[in-house]
Amino acid sequence: MPKHYRPAGKKKEGNAALYITRSQAVKYLQISLSLFRKLCILKGVFPREPKRKVKGNHHTYYHMKDIMFLKHEPLLEKFRDMRAYERKVKKAVTKKNRDLAERLLTRKPTYTLDMLILERYPRFIDALRDLDDCLSMVHLFAALPAVEREKIEVNKIHNCRRLSHEWQAYISRTHKLRKTFVSVKGIYYQADVDGQKITWVTPHALQQVLPDDVDYKIMLTFLEFYETLLAFINVHLYLSINVKYPPILDTRLEALAAELYALSRYLDANNRAPAVESESGSASESSTVQHKEKDRNESELRLAQLQQQLPSNEPGALMHLIEDASGVDEEDAETKACKNLFKNMKFFLSREVPRESLLFVIPAFGGTVSWEGEGAPFNETDKSITHQIVDRPSQGHKFLSREYVQPQFVYDCVNARMILPTENYVVGRVPPPHLSPFVDNEAEGYVPQYADTIKRLQAAAKKEVLPMPGVGKEDLDNPQNLLAEGVIDRAEAIEAAEKKRKMFQLEKQYHNELEKELQGTPFSSDLHAKSQKVDEGMDHEDESAPEIEQFARDKGELDKISMSRKKKKLLEAMEIGKKRKDDKIGRLWERRKKIEEAKTAK
Amino acid sequence: MGKISKSSRKGKKAWRANISSEDIEEYFEKSTKDALSGGSLAHVPSHSLFYVDKSVDLSAKRKIEKKRDKVLHYESVLQRNAFVQPIPSSIQKKPKRKNKVVQTVEGDAQFEGKGPMDIWGDGGRQNSKPKKMQKPSIIPAVEVEPPGCSFNPPSESHQDSLAIAVADEMQKIYRKELGPDPIPLIVPGESIDEETMYFLDADDGTDDDELNEDIVQTEDMDLEKRPLKTKVVTRVELNRRTRRKEQLKEDAKAKQKKQLSKEIDSLPDIMEEIAREDEEKQKKHLRRTVVKQEKLASAPPRLGKYKYDPAPLQVLLSEEITGSLRKLKGCCTLARDRFKSLEKRGLIAPSKRSGRFVKGFFFGVSWKQKNVKCSIGHSRCCFICLQSPSYQRNYAKWLPFQNAI
Repeated sequence: MPKHYRPAGKKKEGNAALYITRSQAVKYLQISLSLFRKLCILKGVFPREPKRKVKGNHHTYYHMKDIMFLKHEPLLEKFRDMRAYERKVKKAVTKKNRDLAERLLTRKPTYTLDMLILERYPRFIDALRDLDDCLSMVHLFAALPAVEREKIEVNKIHNCRRLSHEWQAYISRTHKLRKTFVSVKGIYYQADVDGQKITWVTPHALQQVLPDDVDYKIMLTFLEFYETLLAFINVHLYLSINVKYPPILDTRLEALAAELYALSRYLDANNRAPAVESESGSASESSTVQHKEKDRNESELRLAQLQQQLPSNEPGALMHLIEDASGVDEEDAETKACKNLFKNMKFFLSREVPRESLLFVIPAFGGTVSWEGEGAPFNETDKSITHQIVDRPSQGHKFLSREYVQPQFVYDCVNARMILPTENYVVGRVPPPHLSPFVDNEAEGYVPQYADTIKRLQAAAKKEVLPMPGVGKEDLDNPQNLLAEGVIDRAEAIEAAEKKRKMFQLEKQYHNELEKELQGTPFSSDLHAKSQKVDEGMDHEDESAPEIEQFARDKGELDKISMSRKKKKLLEAMEIGKKRKDDKIGRLWERRKKIEEAKTAK
Repeated sequence: MGKISKSSRKGKKAWRANISSEDIEEYFEKSTKDALSGGSLAHVPSHSLFYVDKSVDLSAKRKIEKKRDKVLHYESVLQRNAFVQPIPSSIQKKPKRKNKVVQTVEGDAQFEGKGPMDIWGDGGRQNSKPKKMQKPSIIPAVEVEPPGCSFNPPSESHQDSLAIAVADEMQKIYRKELGPDPIPLIVPGESIDEETMYFLDADDGTDDDELNEDIVQTEDMDLEKRPLKTKVVTRVELNRRTRRKEQLKEDAKAKQKKQLSKEIDSLPDIMEEIAREDEEKQKKHLRRTVVKQEKLASAPPRLGKYKYDPAPLQVLLSEEITGSLRKLKGCCTLARDRFKSLEKRGLIAPSKRSGRFVKGFFFGVSWKQKNVKCSIGHSRCCFICLQSPSYQRNYAKWLPFQNAI
């Protein structure tokens, strides 16, 4: 009898029983393939890779438990009912029974995904953890064109747009944005909500292409789930800051495609109401506001009223909001820093800059912003504007009272958490490189030149606030002072960076050796080490480094000999890894040197 | 059969019998036919014969539909009357899940009535026992691109990213070059006509036959040559053989004993070897698990018929970096990126459709439209070529980075 022979009635075991191919699953659930795929996506059931693929390598396998999970889903029953109902309508139509068909169509059964969301994300924090993909997808579809062929409907796109704006309004209102990175692919954002880091990517404001190799049916199914999820999350977030959820927007602003601004104003009005009138409920107030704002003239009147309520409108409405909010809930230091970054700064966006993104980012860091076009809070001639964001080779008419900077300035300031000097970002100049804030330079071991400059600027800024003499190293004082004055000379900066690096290396080495010595020095070498230490203590800068190095090396050898083989191997592996990393960093340095040489040669 | 009288045939009677009356008969026939069919058509004017039919005729489909529109008697009887209470044909069992349905309906009403509600708030229904969902992949949903892919990247990291992109592309090219040549459609040489082919076959056949014959002959010869010798074994010989056998047996035994003692002596060595092997095995296992983990962190497991194919890195060329957001030649294919991410995380099995380049579309420009030719002649949609027609120049620029990879 062959080994794999199994009698006819005997149960299967192992992988054959645990896993089921897709076609088997479809047959088992008695549904169509498309419905199966949809159900899988909605329920969060994904294919698995069994250890032994019983039916062959070319099949997709599902776990039997997952399939049973699908089988007991009430949604499955619902889908079946819907299908039966559709058949009824079809029958009525073919029978020419128009009345019946119409009556049936009015009461078509629909389904909701609420239960599924609660099932998949029992707590709010679970939903937040899984929000990255959701946000990216919703933002993507908000920018896509409506294509009938791919069944991308206009309603869906509008809904995505609305949801994404609601999310952005919340983030920017509560100052939760932390990082931005403009890449070729799109703009990355990172926010910190309830201690969860949420990263999402939005497309550039360009005409989006629909690639052929994407299955939009799958994407739309995912989107369907994500839309519901984001709606619920928005509800929760809005209620958590005491704002009524379905926000009612100014129709005029909506028509002008400035929903984000409209939303922020709504949040503003809704949030301030309890503070001003103590009780009476924000709901009635806001609803009256909405009634008023239906009319264009009245909305302007309202705007004037709002502006009157605020003292002279100079710091902007949002600043006041912040003051209100800060009394209500205490925030961590980072949020405070973010809130005050663009404080007392007024931005104006020119026509050619990416408006949507900047309208989101600037208020998120406490700035006031306006743009060219109808419905804007203030226009270009406003005297109080401090920065105008321009992205053109040259600016014709210039106000002397404001700075003309490129949009990259905003993103770099946000990432550096400080107002960078504007000289590098003025119109017509090639700005310094836009660095990724998602890279940990310390872990990577290589710090790009501009990152170094920013770091020193940050240090200088801190020092200005809290001058503490005698803490900084004397070598570094010089470049810092220079930079504090706002004069950034490239060559000097490089020199300083080089010096700093060398200093760091020396220091590190010294510390390492000290540590090593302290940890376990044999008796014989103890005396010697002590004498060395004394020497170093006297003047470590004059001490010749090679001697110490030699000593360290000897010590290392000694340690190695005394180590067990296993540990030795481990150490060697570590050393190899370290060396590889160093090599990489060295290569980067070499490259930089080459580039600089090329530059100087030019 | 009556007999024909054999009278003279030269008489008048015979003459009369031979006169043909065909034309008269024809005339009569024609006239009767005309009379039956309603008059001869020869004299009728042509306009009455040929005319355009302007009468409207119902199509066959319409005819059927028309008939269907009519409500038949039995249908009218069966149609529901508002005044008549329907009587169920049989008393049905109460559905088991009635309670559940009522609950869900109430729940839905709750949702619809007050607008969207906070399902995670205090008022929302709390799920008592959360189901533990396993994460399909350790790959994050949104992977941030390396700093070299910034719209205005620092030059060092930009070169790094560019080198990766170039390495990716070159790998593809090399793989194609090193792979087996496709089967040629045309084989060089002249066609062979049937006669010569026949001869070719014939030649082969004869050769074989001759060889076979040779072999047979030699075998025959051998048989003849072999002497038939069946020696008689003497007792002495037999004894010697048995003695030898015993001797051999004893020798083997002694040898075995010696071997055993030797092995016992080398027991520590063996144990050491076993330990070493075990260690090696363990190391191998460890290595394998580590490799598996690394693989899972970079790509999904094989989930279906097709393998996952990562999307190329989106990086600007050196000449495209302007530092201006306005002039950024961004790629507008975030949809593909998201889809690839779904595949990468193993949420969906990769399909054939999601290959790297399905059509000649990239960066929103048709390559056919652009009429760009690749100077080296690699893959038809090589993005390097598409981006800059002067591939050679760029390639020369990138060569130093190849060493770095």
